[in-house]
Amino acid sequence: MAEADVTNRKPQDEVQALFEPQGVREEQTPRTDAEGHGERRPAAAPASPESAPPQAEAALAPIEEPVVSPHPYATKLREQRLAKEASGHARRDTLLYLDGVNKSFDGFKAINKLSLVVARGEMRAIIGPNGAGKTTMMDIITGKTRPDSGEVFFNGDVDLTHHDEAAIASMGIGRKFQKPTVFESHTVEDNIRLSLAGPRSVLEALFHRKDQAERDRIDAILETTRLTEKRKLLAASLSHGQKQWLEIGMLLAQDPELLLVDEPVAGMTDAETEETARLLREIARTRSVVVVEHDMSFVRELGVKVTCLHEGSVLAEGPLDQVSADPKVIEVYLGR
Amino acid sequence: MLLARFLGPRVWILIAALLLAAVLVPMANLYLSPSHPLHVPSYMVPLLGKYVCYALLALALDLVWGYVGILSLGHGAFFALGGYAMGMYLMRQIGARGVYGNPELPDFMVFLNWKELPWYWYGFDQFWFAAIMVMLVPGLLGFVFGYFAFRSRVTGVYLSIITQAMTYALLLAFFRNDMGFGGNNGLTDFKDILGFPIQADSTRAGLFAASCIALAIAVLIVGWITRSKLGKLMVAVRDAESRTRFIGWRPEYVKLFAFTVSAVMAGIAGALYVPQVGIINPGEFAPVNSIEIVVWAAVGGRGTLLGPVIGALLVNYGKTYFTAVAPEFWLFFLGGLFVFVTLLLPRGIIGTIDYGWETWRSRRRASREEKGESDDGEGQPLASPAE
Amino acid sequence: MTPSIRWLLAALTFLFSAISVAPVHAQESDPAATIQKFGGKQSYDETEAVISELAATGDARVARALRALREGDLYWRESDEAVFIAERNGDNYDLLDPLTGEPAGSEPRGDMSKVRVKNSIRNAVTTALGSLTLRAENPAQRMRAAETLFSEADPEMIEPLDAAIEAESNADVLIRMQEARAAAVLASDRPAPEKAEAAQVLANRGDRESLTMLNRFANSTEDQAARTAAIAAIAAIENNIAFWNQAQNIWYGLSLGSVLLLAAIGLAITFGVMGVINMAHGEMVMLGAYTTFVVQEFIRTSAPGLFEWSLLIALPLAFLVSGTVGLVMERGLIRFLYGRPLETLLATFGVSLILQQAVRTIFGPSNREVGNPDWMSGAFDIGLMSVTWNRLWIIIFALAVFAALLIVLNKTPLGLQMRAVTQNRSMASAMGIRTPWVDAMTFALGSGIAGIAGVALSQVDNVSPNLGQGYIIDSFMVVVFGGVGNLWGTLVGAMSLGILNKFLEPYAGAVLGKIVVLVLIILFIQKRPRGLFAQKGRFVDA
Ligand SMILES: Nc1ncnc2c1ncn2[C@@H]1O[C@H](COP(=O)(O)OP(=O)(O)O)[C@@H](O)[C@H]1O
Ligand SMILES: [Mg+2]
Repeated sequence: MAEADVTNRKPQDEVQALFEPQGVREEQTPRTDAEGHGERRPAAAPASPESAPPQAEAALAPIEEPVVSPHPYATKLREQRLAKEASGHARRDTLLYLDGVNKSFDGFKAINKLSLVVARGEMRAIIGPNGAGKTTMMDIITGKTRPDSGEVFFNGDVDLTHHDEAAIASMGIGRKFQKPTVFESHTVEDNIRLSLAGPRSVLEALFHRKDQAERDRIDAILETTRLTEKRKLLAASLSHGQKQWLEIGMLLAQDPELLLVDEPVAGMTDAETEETARLLREIARTRSVVVVEHDMSFVRELGVKVTCLHEGSVLAEGPLDQVSADPKVIEVYLGR
Repeated sequence: MLLARFLGPRVWILIAALLLAAVLVPMANLYLSPSHPLHVPSYMVPLLGKYVCYALLALALDLVWGYVGILSLGHGAFFALGGYAMGMYLMRQIGARGVYGNPELPDFMVFLNWKELPWYWYGFDQFWFAAIMVMLVPGLLGFVFGYFAFRSRVTGVYLSIITQAMTYALLLAFFRNDMGFGGNNGLTDFKDILGFPIQADSTRAGLFAASCIALAIAVLIVGWITRSKLGKLMVAVRDAESRTRFIGWRPEYVKLFAFTVSAVMAGIAGALYVPQVGIINPGEFAPVNSIEIVVWAAVGGRGTLLGPVIGALLVNYGKTYFTAVAPEFWLFFLGGLFVFVTLLLPRGIIGTIDYGWETWRSRRRASREEKGESDDGEGQPLASPAE
Repeated sequence: MTPSIRWLLAALTFLFSAISVAPVHAQESDPAATIQKFGGKQSYDETEAVISELAATGDARVARALRALREGDLYWRESDEAVFIAERNGDNYDLLDPLTGEPAGSEPRGDMSKVRVKNSIRNAVTTALGSLTLRAENPAQRMRAAETLFSEADPEMIEPLDAAIEAESNADVLIRMQEARAAAVLASDRPAPEKAEAAQVLANRGDRESLTMLNRFANSTEDQAARTAAIAAIAAIENNIAFWNQAQNIWYGLSLGSVLLLAAIGLAITFGVMGVINMAHGEMVMLGAYTTFVVQEFIRTSAPGLFEWSLLIALPLAFLVSGTVGLVMERGLIRFLYGRPLETLLATFGVSLILQQAVRTIFGPSNREVGNPDWMSGAFDIGLMSVTWNRLWIIIFALAVFAALLIVLNKTPLGLQMRAVTQNRSMASAMGIRTPWVDAMTFALGSGIAGIAGVALSQVDNVSPNLGQGYIIDSFMVVVFGGVGNLWGTLVGAMSLGILNKFLEPYAGAVLGKIVVLVLIILFIQKRPRGLFAQKGRFVDA
């Protein structure tokens, strides 16, 4: 497997190009140091205005209206609004911001006061026992499940709880499911084609014409996910691991800013696991990634900050070594 | 050549056959003497025309069921609405030739002591208006119904059941005399269409040809839709609806598009059907009728262009045959057909042939790859019917 | 769950006890035989003696014969001296039973003789009428006498009534007598204030009869005050009647709802527990109805005495017949289609066509006669609303089936396994539950219940091969509206759809009402795609 991969690889810069976001988006902040961000919990005090980027200040400007109403209630409202804006500030340079999120199913608290911040360009691994709420958290971020309460923001100030799955996906959040789901009666190539970023209207799809740019992009993605050979095959005929990759390929085609990847290496061979880790690391050079995974060696290989969930809330957060040494984590997850 | 690749040769053969039939059957009816072995008797022409309308209806259903996975059990309603729109035009054409000789009101209204034409009958004396209504009314119903249903994510059997309820409600409504559509008896006793006497052989031949041409066009349109990126998306929605959401599509709009187009097609089928059989009554709304359409598509092979056409022709020919030879066995046969097809032939006739062909080819490809050859086939994948 | 069952049982016990008390009357002497003594050639004295004998029975029912005698309508037949009330009809007399007033055939005029009367006899009758029943020993008889007099509204009876009211000790009877007096007063030429008072009494009574009387009075009286009083009384009665109309509507709704419940409850099991759409469910109901027909045919030919028991005999048989057909269907067809709900729908539709045609071939296409046992026929009144026995039994039966099913689901091993399979099929099978067996049993149970529903429906609907088709869409609506996989949802769904239907009917007409309900359900499903009582859990929409 690995040998074949080496021969198949394209020159590094071509692959690199693939990872650059295609759409016109606001400038990426440079990749932040995971540790540095770990200290800033969402519940922390509002960041001071000085630290806000300039364009954020401009956005805030209209709010600096003169206080005309002496009425105490109006003043209070205004203060509240300012405080809210300021906390928006704190969110502003985060890509994903969850604070105090709750979700219960029939009284069972699947997510319990969950708070989590992912910075732009960060890759985060999430571990935790089965039923910890990892998948439910992704459901909440991608709009599949509405939280009972709590804040979920994307890109600083987009409130994800007000959008549905399709809108959230179009904003640039891609998701790979725990159970690989690809379009089985389509070819590998068509799977990618359907996922390619671009207009999502029905009429556009009806009158869509294939062009060279599209073909090139599909080629590149197939190359990256090592599926070039299989492009004409029906997705149904792929092996489990290949389906996982195809799904990652579909994610890439979507060209998202944030990738949510649920248990990508479940059911993969060791070689495939290693390959997947490399793929994800590569992707994470230009995009933010949240990976849920049980496989500790895989998580170690990723070498990023780790969050351990338990019973719907964060149990521990930090570098893997630190988290895996945490007695609480050992108690509930790793076992003695 | 490009066209052949676009839909595959078989579809072009079908279209050619339809166009040929549109010419040959009328000629064999009108110009060959009755003693000639190839003469098509006059009773046969509207019968064949009826089959063709059913084929169009089955194709409409196939667009939503075979390609998008929406099992509509209410397509009979769209068909009947199209039929009623055409029936209203034909009613107005009767003019003063009715039993009561009222130039304005159809007989049943005179009978009910109505004094003037209800507003929703206005305009139906014009063919162009009726023709628009034939498409607009079913299309609008399909759009509104689909909009609500798909938006609130009613899927699967729930959707099937409420489509049944929809056609059932319409059945009850059209049975009512004060709806103004002739109640129980429906609309009948038509005299002429576009000025041609409706019973004349030449008119019937013309209607048959029109049906064939309509079906050919419909095959082309459905072929074009399903071979487009939208068609791929439809199949994706059928197989993994929620996945399409997470890559940013809105499956409800995809479904709505297909459902509305399909409703319009069904309406056209109904409009062509009514002048050929000479009557439209509320019985066309019966829930059972709508389920029968499903078996036509299933027998031929859903998710294919050819399948529903062939299925509708075969099953309806069977129905004609049985009801003449052993009427009491027809329901046994039809019931058995439902069981047989779902259990043993889930891909239908065409689907099974295609599947066998595809398997054979991929096996051949695999063995060729072993020998180091490469395959340059076009590889148009077939939609598999598995849910 | 247990408290609710207890509640249900309590309600049932209440109903049963209420029913068993109602109609039985004590019978002291036989007035019918006494009336027959008018027959044959009689002297006036003999006739008068019979009159006083009748008066002594104290049975209000003899009033009919006595009145007929007074009017000269009492005849006896020459051939057997049997006594009838006769009405002239061309060359014949139409005969009525003198006691009950029911038609008793007709005879040529020449074969009948009149019981002769003269003025003294007429007077004797009047006194007898007045006194006889009002002074009977038995309060129930006095009650009936007062009721009879009420509908007569005969001014001549005011005085006897006054006397009786003086003497009356039973409060209920007293009220009836006062009402009878009021009715008589309204019809009399007594002074207006007295009539106004009487109008008030009638208003308190508040039934349709009083309304008619008051209306008649209000239209005829000249006196302004009395008319105002009457109009006020009319308004009060109309309110009362409106109330009972609502009650009657609810009753009809419950009755329709219980029919829907019966038809849908088996479906709720197969659809709710197994996720299987059984389009042949209606045909299972039909098979149950035809089983009843066969049982009755058999009883008619070989054991006519058992006819009253025919439904009870049919119940287990219908359960077996439909259950077996269901079992065969599951084993032979449906189990190959699990996980493909749409195809199951189509295949079972095929089965429904086959079953329909099979029944049509065997029993013919027309309606078959299924008789009602005596305990299923007739009606009685509660307040102003009329309750037919067959509807009442069907409501009771539906609730009983519902309760039994709850017990099966919650208290038996099969029920436990069924619930386990519903909640998590793979887990259940990992725990060693034989899921295929549970599926087969569940399906058989659901079908069997449809069968016994068919027994009940054979009492209120036409038994024809199309019986099932009429119910299938409605049953699905009930299940979908109530929420899949929840029996309580089915109960609430059936009852509320039944009541809604009946309340829409007066405004929209039966057909339009039904359309409105269908449209409402279609809209409702869009709001709550999983029904009123949605089943929860993540496997539901897998
Ligand atoms: N739609 C749902 N209905 C009911 N319970 C759910 C639903 N989704 C998740 N849960 C429950 O929430 C808990 C968290 O599940 P999940 O997020 O899948 O855990 P993880 O992915 O960490 O293993 C589990 O106990 C699961 O049963
Ligand atoms: Mg998970």
